[in-house]
Amino acid sequence: MTRAPRDTSPLPAPSGPYPPTQAMLAEPVPDDLRRAQADRLRKVWETPKGWRYVKAVNNSEVGKWYCLTALVFMLLAGIMALLMRLQLAVPEHDLISADRFNQLFTMHGSAMMFLFAVPMFEAVSILLLPGLLGARDMPFPRLSAFGYWCFLIGGVFVIGSILFDVAPRSGWFMYPPLATQDEGPGSDIWLLGLSFIEVASIAAAVELIVGTLKCRPPGMRVNIMPLYAWYVLVVGGMILFAFPPLIAGDFLFELERSFNWPFFDPERGGDPMLWQHLFWIFGHPEVYIIFLPSIAIAAMIIPTVARRPIFGYSWIVLSAVGTGFLSFGLWVHHMFTTGLPSISLGFFSAASEAVVIPTGIQIFAFLATLMAGRVKMTLPMLWISGALAIFTMGGLTGVMLAMAPFDFQAHDTYFIVAHLHYTLFGGMVFPVIAGVYYFFPFFQKKLMSERLGRWSFWLVFSGFNLCFLPMHLTGLWGMPRRVYTYPTGLGWDGLNMISTLGAFVVAAGFVVFVWDLIRPKKDQPQIPRNPWEAGTLEWTHDVPEETWGVRSIPHVTSRYPLWDQPGMQDRMDAGRYYLPDAQEGKRETLVTSVIDAEPVQVQRVTGPTWITHLAAGFTGGAFILPTFHLYPPAMVCGALAVCCILYWLWTSTARPPEADSKDVGLGLTLPTYAAGSASVGWWAMWITMLGDATAFASLVFGFFFYWTAAPNFPPEGAAHAVALLVALAALGLAGSWALTLGARRLNRSGLVGAARLCLGLAPLAAAGGAAALIGSVWTLDPESHVYPAVLWALTIWITVHAGVGVIMQLYCLAGSLFGKLTPRYDADLWNVSLYWHFVVLAALVTCAVMGLAPGAL
Amino acid sequence: MTGDHPPRPEEDRAELAEEQASLFRITLAPVIWAAHFLVCYGLVAVTCAKGWDIDAVRLGLILFSAGALGGIGWIGLAAWRQWNLSATGDRVNRRGRPEDRHRFLGHAAFLLSIISAIGVIFVALPLILIGGCQ
Repeated sequence: MTRAPRDTSPLPAPSGPYPPTQAMLAEPVPDDLRRAQADRLRKVWETPKGWRYVKAVNNSEVGKWYCLTALVFMLLAGIMALLMRLQLAVPEHDLISADRFNQLFTMHGSAMMFLFAVPMFEAVSILLLPGLLGARDMPFPRLSAFGYWCFLIGGVFVIGSILFDVAPRSGWFMYPPLATQDEGPGSDIWLLGLSFIEVASIAAAVELIVGTLKCRPPGMRVNIMPLYAWYVLVVGGMILFAFPPLIAGDFLFELERSFNWPFFDPERGGDPMLWQHLFWIFGHPEVYIIFLPSIAIAAMIIPTVARRPIFGYSWIVLSAVGTGFLSFGLWVHHMFTTGLPSISLGFFSAASEAVVIPTGIQIFAFLATLMAGRVKMTLPMLWISGALAIFTMGGLTGVMLAMAPFDFQAHDTYFIVAHLHYTLFGGMVFPVIAGVYYFFPFFQKKLMSERLGRWSFWLVFSGFNLCFLPMHLTGLWGMPRRVYTYPTGLGWDGLNMISTLGAFVVAAGFVVFVWDLIRPKKDQPQIPRNPWEAGTLEWTHDVPEETWGVRSIPHVTSRYPLWDQPGMQDRMDAGRYYLPDAQEGKRETLVTSVIDAEPVQVQRVTGPTWITHLAAGFTGGAFILPTFHLYPPAMVCGALAVCCILYWLWTSTARPPEADSKDVGLGLTLPTYAAGSASVGWWAMWITMLGDATAFASLVFGFFFYWTAAPNFPPEGAAHAVALLVALAALGLAGSWALTLGARRLNRSGLVGAARLCLGLAPLAAAGGAAALIGSVWTLDPESHVYPAVLWALTIWITVHAGVGVIMQLYCLAGSLFGKLTPRYDADLWNVSLYWHFVVLAALVTCAVMGLAPGAL
Repeated sequence: MTGDHPPRPEEDRAELAEEQASLFRITLAPVIWAAHFLVCYGLVAVTCAKGWDIDAVRLGLILFSAGALGGIGWIGLAAWRQWNLSATGDRVNRRGRPEDRHRFLGHAAFLLSIISAIGVIFVALPLILIGGCQ
């Protein structure tokens, strides 16, 4: 029965000297060895050629596709904006119908937010982060690729809908009842297509957080990591707490659209305000999720052009972390006119004013760095200056709008349109373009044109102000947003014409920029390796390009290693640092500790594959087919997607290594396998489940929101969940959790048979628990009132999670039977137990809400 | 905490071991802000919706705000000591030594406690300035 070896001795710890001494670093590598190492590395990290190129999962390739795709979506959304400006150029214009106009502004907002701004952060980070950290790749390259393909499929689906005249048309925030009662598939396309993209975003957030925490080069303690990494950490964390409420909202919204469950229908106890809360708990932090990583690009460019270290590193960390927190206390400032008590408005107004402080500190730290340095007005710096000017303007109108009485006046006018474009252009578009100019030599090994760049800047900058500055006045003079036309004689005619002209000047600027980006640059001479004379690790890249990321992973002791650690570049090139070789022919990168970046493990990373495409395609089917009410095929797609993901995990993650440890250079020997909190997979599970728990908390919030908002919730005489079955459900799911935990402990101590028994019983307990939970609400009619509907929604949530948990338990059982999971190599079982901790917590909360709340309320 | 003498290696290890595992300590003060914000908003929303005694709730929340400020002040003080500016005179902590990282985390936590205190004061102001639910 037990084919697996029963070796229960602990895995080896890292051994050998660390940190390396100067003498060790100075030891030369023989020339022939150096060449052989480079050849092996080159072969292992080779990008597939020809049509197989799309199989690539390397961050440098996926990152480029991701950026380009987001750029294309942005240009398409920009064309929609131009169409709207044409329609609004003159009063009573009939270029576009009202319905088409509604589709255009809804898609313009949705695409700019979901298909450009957030994915652009992920794209840029996937492209740059390994370079900034001197890592070979991200810890989960296939997850990045999977996320990208999901994004591409979902994005094409959503944006393509406008060509068939069925695009969503209720505004980018989809307020019910307008959006829930809208006929046609528009709202469903928005919901399902974008939920799909949100899942991809969370995947990227997991990847980026784990990358920043665990894949830094040895010695790069938290106080010397590049500021960009700090921002990635903060923004990744924000995504985990901001996106899940929207996913929960989407879940309820789609249940209402598809099955007529009345979550937002006041006639049956629902409340449209719940959607507004869930949407803006996501929507306001999202503005900062867009802004922070872009300003992080400024934090990389400014020290380079000022030729000095950033002024106030800790202050910028403060402002990133502080903004990250405070931005969660602002959401109601989008809801100032919904009739909430003025004292509640006061809290949000106060928090909205408070967030200005960290944001301002950030800008002042940049200005101080520039003042103290010797600034060279390079092209990236030109765009950064434009960003600071425009963002400050947007920030100032933001301070005005944070005051509730002013907002009552300006709400839903063009003043808001002007404000939000000033913050987003200044806070996101300008810094990202600056980043493209700055990092282009890093990822394309070519330079963009100085002359075209200046043309593009002045066109975009002047066009932008021409377009949006007058809108402040248009708005104050009373022109509402989202109207497809307006009568003449209200004083809006001239201002609108100016805005339209400005919009086309911006478009001309983008044409110049895009041409500069894509024009062939074959004749350009080879660029210098560090064209801006920057101090951070990404500029140790190889010119001409090598796909191995870094030739060897350096030991870093400074914030600006290229300025402060002379000789580092040569040592890296000579392979005198860590992991200079790939003897086993496997892709590897170094995993280090979270705070002090001490080397702890060699992580095997995955290579080119088709499985990610299949998985993304089926996931796409599972999300997209329900839009057309094709539920059975959608379920088949979902099942196939699960199969693909299981195959991918089984064949290439957490496999027992051929040797327990390996020499990584400089006398250091590191383990090749880790389980529990030492492994990157465990961190990924922990982070994913944090987001999942947030979505669950949003559902529970919904339950109590109904109780607060409605005079009778639960309604008098309503049927409740059957208490006995609820108790059984709690018992069954808790039992499954305990058995999983027991399996992990027994397996560790070598009792493989007992562990397998536990893993065999755990799914039965889980299935029994889930069945009892469904049974407890079986007789309730979710269409009749929001109370049974919300009980059903919680039941579905827990059942689906238990189902996934069962698949995981069976996966571990299979792993144990086929020798993938042994007492020594038990990472899968650790991750599954961690998952079950979260499931049991959610299940017990659900059972408490269903069983106890009716009596207590 | 680190005294005037240069830290000995063993002392370093004992002192720094506690923060090896976690970055979360620098977020303690902002977490207090967030909890304070949630409690204020949630309690006031329920009070206004259910017609409870808003004046009593306001008084309770003002006292709670004072408590939150006290907590943040305590964290800030500990962080100030960890930063240890007066002894080292080093405001920047840009080098890659363990004590630099230790003091940097103190500095960051200290600054975050200031911003959190400002946040708590801001959010408490409506409790003082605005009388009732309407």
